[in-house]
Amino acid sequence: MSDKPKTKAKAVDRRGFLKAGIAAGGAAVLATGARASESDPLITEIQDWNRYLGEGVQAYPYGQPSRYEAHVVRRDVEWLTASTESSVNFTPLHELEGIITPNGLCFERHHAGIAEIDPANHRLMINGLVDTPLVFTMADLKRFPRENRVYFLECAANSGMEWRGAQLNGCQYTHGMVHCVVYTGVPLRTLLEEAGVKTNARWVMPEGADASAMTRSVPIEKALDDCLVAFKMNGEALRPEQGYPLRLVVPGWEGNMWVKWLRRIEVGDEPWHHREETSKYTDLLDTGKARRFTWVMDAKSVITSPSPQMPVTHGKGPLVISGVAWSGNGTVKRVDVSIDGGRNWTTARIDGPSLPKALHRFYLDIDWDGSDLLIQSRAMDEAGFFQPTKNELRAARGENSIYHNNSIQTWHVKTDGTVENVEVS
Amino acid sequence: MSKFLRGLIIAACGALISVPALAAGDAANGEKVFKKCVACHAVGEGARNKVGPHLNDVFGRVAGGLEDFKYSKAMLAAGEAGLVWDEATMAEYFASPRTMIKGTRMAFAGLKKESEIVDVLAYLAGYSEAAASDQPAEQSSAGPAQETAEAASVAPAPPTSSTRDGGVFGLGRVATAEEIAAWDIDVRPDGKGLPPGKGTVADGEPIYAEQCAFCHGDFGEGAGRWPVLAGGHDTLADERPEKTIGSYWPYLSTVYDYIRRAMPYGNARSLSDDDVYALTAYMLYLNDIVDDEDFELSNENFTEIRLPNEENFIPDGRAEEPHFAADREPCMKDCKPGTAEIVMRARILDVTPGDADDGGAGVGAVD
Repeated sequence: MSDKPKTKAKAVDRRGFLKAGIAAGGAAVLATGARASESDPLITEIQDWNRYLGEGVQAYPYGQPSRYEAHVVRRDVEWLTASTESSVNFTPLHELEGIITPNGLCFERHHAGIAEIDPANHRLMINGLVDTPLVFTMADLKRFPRENRVYFLECAANSGMEWRGAQLNGCQYTHGMVHCVVYTGVPLRTLLEEAGVKTNARWVMPEGADASAMTRSVPIEKALDDCLVAFKMNGEALRPEQGYPLRLVVPGWEGNMWVKWLRRIEVGDEPWHHREETSKYTDLLDTGKARRFTWVMDAKSVITSPSPQMPVTHGKGPLVISGVAWSGNGTVKRVDVSIDGGRNWTTARIDGPSLPKALHRFYLDIDWDGSDLLIQSRAMDEAGFFQPTKNELRAARGENSIYHNNSIQTWHVKTDGTVENVEVS
Repeated sequence: MSKFLRGLIIAACGALISVPALAAGDAANGEKVFKKCVACHAVGEGARNKVGPHLNDVFGRVAGGLEDFKYSKAMLAAGEAGLVWDEATMAEYFASPRTMIKGTRMAFAGLKKESEIVDVLAYLAGYSEAAASDQPAEQSSAGPAQETAEAASVAPAPPTSSTRDGGVFGLGRVATAEEIAAWDIDVRPDGKGLPPGKGTVADGEPIYAEQCAFCHGDFGEGAGRWPVLAGGHDTLADERPEKTIGSYWPYLSTVYDYIRRAMPYGNARSLSDDDVYALTAYMLYLNDIVDDEDFELSNENFTEIRLPNEENFIPDGRAEEPHFAADREPCMKDCKPGTAEIVMRARILDVTPGDADDGGAGVGAVD
């Protein structure tokens, strides 16, 4: 016990000394590249972490990322909304790999802040056109057979700021209202059958327990198909900002319907036409008409690296182009990548699981000659739909739709490796 | 002492607000009560001005004393007259802001319960150095005690589970009629779910001024980025459409349902059913759909009112768009003539957060 402070003090001194060495070594490596003739002091000198003890078990009862990853965080765009309690932030897609989003990095969208609910005080009611209106506690729900499913959740307004043209520099901002986790929950169908759905039932209306009491109308076919009433994400309890203790999962459909803090499911014969499906989440066309009940999230993809927040720092030679693709229609069948602004395309390699209505990871490994690149990705889903260009989408809908912008994104990779969000002819 | 300040003290005595020691308040409960305030006020580490000024170190602050916040003239005058925020003055202000400072911009009607006022004061005191010496016990009782409880290795007792006869699994219990009535408040365009009640445009006007105008503007024009409620007629096909209740919303039932379930922002479910009828009527008036201040909206005549844009909502037509044709093979080689030219750059707008000067005024919305 008495030795500990001394050891720490020594370690700090040595670390301070070594910092200079690392800086010098780093410069040497850069200058000489792969042919470095000087030896790397990180190898020739014994490092602190190679000599002194690190922290013991239980130093962090709930583990945290390395302090060198402190920049990997959700970010918001302050000018976008009037108050943080009814606002959104964005998943740092550019820093992530694979298909699963860590819980603490899943983007947030609240309409009245994060409701704080003790699960012991949470109830789920099913009422309306059912044989028996029921109330479940969380303990009741955990006695029903449950399922594990991987699904993406995308806000319908993802890329909504890009309708008029390239605006935000970073896939975190242009495409970061999406995440993908494995949910554990009870099929909504099971709960509806428990209450007994009447024959004239056509719609259900999930409702949240937060101060916005979020509601949406969901057709009964979807409710009985693949919706889940979930209480876990990536194995642990839902995060408060994701609806703890209970949320609805509506696979492949717009995120606004995945009601958080789920407290009630009403069954009815007509849609409710509530605020979030009339004044919001309707797609205004250039004719002045507006589409409603546009539920499915279309095939979409984005290159996450290189991207404006993830420039190329290594110069020419081998370059990994990495990205994510998804579709509310099912699996992603194929992703094509262009490096010349859409003139020519090469089919990328999908790596890892290919699950319906989940993120897919794709790669194109190229030998970069150091010239300007205009990189794009184009996803095609199992239904055969593929992403339109921005101009095709604008020609069909105008620029005021806000929602469902699934057009092809272009990044300009410059000769110095920096990357910018652009549009091309 | 100025006349003004003397007036304040008399008002305070008249309202019979006792001023107990801060230690008497429950800071933890005050934090809950403060949720009524967070739409406009922030407190704590990193708190910034929102619609209202931040409340760090509010104890001892001269009224209207933050240089970077734009106060009402009335608030600045009160400060010049010598008003300083402390337990007594804040207790009076929280009880009825506009009684104490006529002309304040704070739209909040006031905290009705004295215990809530005391608790909020205790909560705010935790973020004011000037108040810290008055209530040493408070800080230590709220935080650490909870942490100790959380450190227990056994999970908290789970809520009980129940079984019943019937159903597939026999889980859960039958909802009572009272429970269903408490939560099932949704209203549909055909009028299903409307509660009995009524309210006139004239009834709605003062409620709107008190509860809504601060964010939505005196005439529904919207303050800052808060939603615009009125106007925007014939703008839907314009370059900058204005989507309001009058210009865009298809059904009046949505207005009633939404106000009743979620407004006022940060104090939901605080309005009576008649208040909501009156506010809905006032929305019709602001949008020129009714022009008589004596117009009374009720559950009886509700479905007779139609909003002008109802016919302009159409089904999802995405699958008919040319680029959406399924099973079309996308082009792979020489898809467009010539080399690709850059026609638009994000840098021109420069609104990305974290850029040297992000301008703070991009275009777009996520709602």
